[in-house]
Amino acid sequence: MQQIMQDRGTHTLPGLIRLSAIPLGVAIGLGGVCAALLVVQMGCLARIVDDLAFRSHPFSAEHALISSLLAATLARCLLQWCADMAGERAGILAVSSLRQHLFRHLFRVGPVGLAGEETGAIATALTDGIDTLHPYIAQYLPRAAAMVVLPLLILGVVAGLDGWSFLILACTGPLIPVFMALVGFRAQAMMDRQWTQLLLLGSSFLDSLQGLTTLRLFGRARERVSLVIQMAEGHRQSTMQVMRVAFLTSAVLEFFSSLAIALVAIVFGARLLTGHVTFYTAFFVLLLAPEYFAPLRAFSASYHARQNAVSAMTRLSALMALPELQGDAPSSLPSAPLATIICRDLRTGYGDGPDVLLSLSATFGSDVLSVITGASGSGKSTLIRLLLGMMPVRSGKISGLDEAGHPIPQKAWKIGWVPQAPTLLDGTIADTLRLAAPDADIEHLRKAASLAGVLTFIENLPDGFDTKVGEHGAALSGGEIRRLVLARALLTDPQVLVFDEPTADLDPENAARVAASIQRLAQGRIVIAISHRPDVLSRAGQVLCLRDGRLVPEMDKGIAA
Amino acid sequence: MSDLSRLLRLTRPLKGMLWLGFILACLASLANFGLLFLSGWLLAGAAAAGLGGIATQNLFNLFMPAAGVRFFATVRILARYAERLVTHDAALRVVSVLRGWSFERLIPRSPLLETRHRSGDILARFVGDTDRMGQFPLDALLPFGVAAVCSTISVLIMALFSVPVALLMALTLLLIGAAAPFLAGKPVDRIMQAYAKAADALRADSVETVQALGDIAFCGATERTLKRLEAYQTSLSAGQYRLAAITHAARQSVAFIGMLTAAGVIGLAANALQHHRLSAAELPMLALGCLAAFEQVSGLIPARQALGRAMLSARRVFALCDMPPPVPQPERTPPLPLTPDLTMQDVTLAYPGSHVPVLHGLSLSVQAGERVGIIGPSGEGKSSLGRLLMRLAEYQRGSVCFGGVDLRTLSTQTLSGRVGVLSQTFHLQQGSIRHNLRIACPDADENEMWAALQAAHLDTEIRAMTKGLDTRVGEHGVCLSGGQARRLAVAQIILRRPAWLLLDEPTEGLTPEAGQALIGSLLMALPAATVLCITHRPEPLTFMNRVLRLENGQLHPREIPAHPTP
Repeated sequence: MQQIMQDRGTHTLPGLIRLSAIPLGVAIGLGGVCAALLVVQMGCLARIVDDLAFRSHPFSAEHALISSLLAATLARCLLQWCADMAGERAGILAVSSLRQHLFRHLFRVGPVGLAGEETGAIATALTDGIDTLHPYIAQYLPRAAAMVVLPLLILGVVAGLDGWSFLILACTGPLIPVFMALVGFRAQAMMDRQWTQLLLLGSSFLDSLQGLTTLRLFGRARERVSLVIQMAEGHRQSTMQVMRVAFLTSAVLEFFSSLAIALVAIVFGARLLTGHVTFYTAFFVLLLAPEYFAPLRAFSASYHARQNAVSAMTRLSALMALPELQGDAPSSLPSAPLATIICRDLRTGYGDGPDVLLSLSATFGSDVLSVITGASGSGKSTLIRLLLGMMPVRSGKISGLDEAGHPIPQKAWKIGWVPQAPTLLDGTIADTLRLAAPDADIEHLRKAASLAGVLTFIENLPDGFDTKVGEHGAALSGGEIRRLVLARALLTDPQVLVFDEPTADLDPENAARVAASIQRLAQGRIVIAISHRPDVLSRAGQVLCLRDGRLVPEMDKGIAA
Repeated sequence: MSDLSRLLRLTRPLKGMLWLGFILACLASLANFGLLFLSGWLLAGAAAAGLGGIATQNLFNLFMPAAGVRFFATVRILARYAERLVTHDAALRVVSVLRGWSFERLIPRSPLLETRHRSGDILARFVGDTDRMGQFPLDALLPFGVAAVCSTISVLIMALFSVPVALLMALTLLLIGAAAPFLAGKPVDRIMQAYAKAADALRADSVETVQALGDIAFCGATERTLKRLEAYQTSLSAGQYRLAAITHAARQSVAFIGMLTAAGVIGLAANALQHHRLSAAELPMLALGCLAAFEQVSGLIPARQALGRAMLSARRVFALCDMPPPVPQPERTPPLPLTPDLTMQDVTLAYPGSHVPVLHGLSLSVQAGERVGIIGPSGEGKSSLGRLLMRLAEYQRGSVCFGGVDLRTLSTQTLSGRVGVLSQTFHLQQGSIRHNLRIACPDADENEMWAALQAAHLDTEIRAMTKGLDTRVGEHGVCLSGGQARRLAVAQIILRRPAWLLLDEPTEGLTPEAGQALIGSLLMALPAATVLCITHRPEPLTFMNRVLRLENGQLHPREIPAHPTP
């Protein structure tokens, strides 16, 4: 399984099909056997009806034929069930491995790589988008195979029964796929548009909901209702455009097949009147004729499954193509404690954009609180992202050394990160903390919370550590969330602690407390904080002041006064 | 009222379209029956005539039944095409009706969405559930209605030729039409519920995981998160597999029973033929008619599943839309003066489910034009004061008068006409900067926008962006820096020119100089505004006339801190 997931080919449709080749093969093979049984079934039925109606056999003489009819039917039903289930298995296999593969990829892309994407759109692609692949693999592909097997088989049988009918079927059959391919091409272009609409609708609704209170405060929530309806109407119109083509295709398909069957019937009718063919032959061929066209009909009904899958795959491939800025998750292998981080001539930027950091060099040592300061847009956050390994450097080098001066690869650093606005997962406070250390007992949690200065706050809550936090920690203030995240980081005893505006949202007393605890945490650790607040700056052992991506001599202490 | 009848009532605006679709569907189904029935007779009749010799051959009129066959074939094609167009269009129209309806219901419940439900769930509910509810008339109702009408008519037609055959068919059709969906329904509903739960969990987790990617990775929880997602996937796959097993088994059972019944019909018809109650040509006709009638009921088990799915979705959507709104929002509100003042007396506010009140006997009076700062430790309910004023949180005791009007008679909508709120949790919408400014003030023209951006000190930066006002803000303002996003929010408020400003930690995330400049620019642009500023930082306070400290749910006067040297 592991090997399969690493297979780079899985992010294309053919790759996915290869992945589920075995169940798919079983589904198609069994489908072929079912096709043969269908012919047997219809042959028995035609023979029975002919015997009873035109050969004056009593019903009791038909036991053998009736038994074989029912046996063939039973066998066909059972095998068809197996074939369908094999198809389902193939679909499930493809969907689940692709989803897992994509999630793993997103972790390697990291938050910086995803910054331009919309969460709602990604989530829709990961859920609904991937789900559209299931009907494609489970139903469309076996049907596409059946479209070849069953008509050929029937054509062969009919050729042995009646020349005229063979001629009619052989001429009309191939017209249909040709026609469908012509129409399908146009439908595909429309489907692509509709898929974008669907994604837009999905992410715009998440956005409208998350911003519902803001919309109300602007007095615009009521208007948003009509926008939501408008989006749904737009969705309806573009869907119906595709549908109209699809329905017209199947109507034309049905017209062709009806025409062919009627032709077969009329040609038979005339010859039956003159007694040139037996009723058995006529009835048998007429029973088979609709089945000749049925796979085509079923295929055209699931044709949109292919279109959905191809459209979804375009979007999924775009996600797959995002560069893996972050690489694999940091390794948890034990390494010698990190004593110094040395940055030399760092230069980096986003995408194809200009450099955001220009030839920056700095050293961060343990036991010292290093503070990075500067105006917004000066490159503070970018420097932090480099240190955290969220994005690669364009040139320059970041190296970590242990006390003896031996290098430690960046992946092996144990880093704790406290962002300015961390995202808390749904769950209790204890769950939040245990994200970093799932086996930590309550004593460990208490110790870490106390180090982060948040223990009293937690214990004063009615439910203590079992208090629920909402999405984005809706029930907690920004300062409390950050202190929780600090406690969480401390659970793993990190060698490097990185803070982004640790005292934002805090009143002066709490800010002073947090700044003091950050200074204490620098004992035996490398601690780096972005801040421009005097409470943190005044405790810094080293201040790096950034302007336009370069280090500048430390500002005058005006702000700290 | 049951979920079903409520859902039906919501689809009422499209009743005409849905009935039209139903009639067309019946027409298509009956035409199919007629086609097979008649062609069986045509063929057998011709064969019988052929066997009878020249005399009967000349008597046999091939023209009439052949015309009938052509007629039925044409009707089938046209009716099916029209039916598909009409029903799919109607279903999508139902979806947009449901989306609008549920969004409207959620507006007064917005504070609940922030705390109680994960927005990933909401997205799943809204997009997925309204979709399924919209498909409900097409996927669940239509097959049952068509099966009931068409199989009755088919059986009646068969009864014209042979009563025993008709009875046998009525029996088996009833068995399949009524009993099978009922029998298969219960286990399917159960599996579907578990499946829906796993799907919800997967979706909510996907949203969360994508949002918190960095936090998860730095907790070393990547592998564990992937494992959990895989576990959801496994239970999802298991449910899907079981559902498929039942559906396919039901479909094949119907096919087998159909053939079994056809054999029975042939037996009964052969018996009638022997007793000369039936002609030879009618036997193949009845056999084909029987097979056609079974096509009418083959869609019932998937329809039963669709019904279960739709009801599950309806239950969740209705549950969400029926939560009591935390604060009543009156439709008609008294007019507010242009420059309202505020009087709060002895106000107590406690959140539902919490015993400790956040505000306790709080009194405050703010004159029009005054600038009041509120400070206090974090978590003391400063923000609740703002939420109370905007009718987002309900107070239990005391009285609040805004512009001489009892606050309880006002709504958030009315208040938004007078009060501009810059809060800690402001939300920028996806789309361009222009789009976000339009949300704040739909009538603003280009010049007004630039003026507001200039007042918020954002114009130079935006002019430097290649797309200018059309630069995409990105989700949660990702493409703008924190400071830029904040200044954009300020520009939004300046555009609205409110008489009141409610500022909740307005300078958070900014350098002290930038914070000072931000407040300065906001108050310079709106010099006459009455200000209530909730903060713990010193910069905004220098602009205030007086400062109060919130402690233990009550306000106490404080001195204004010294002006920090710029």
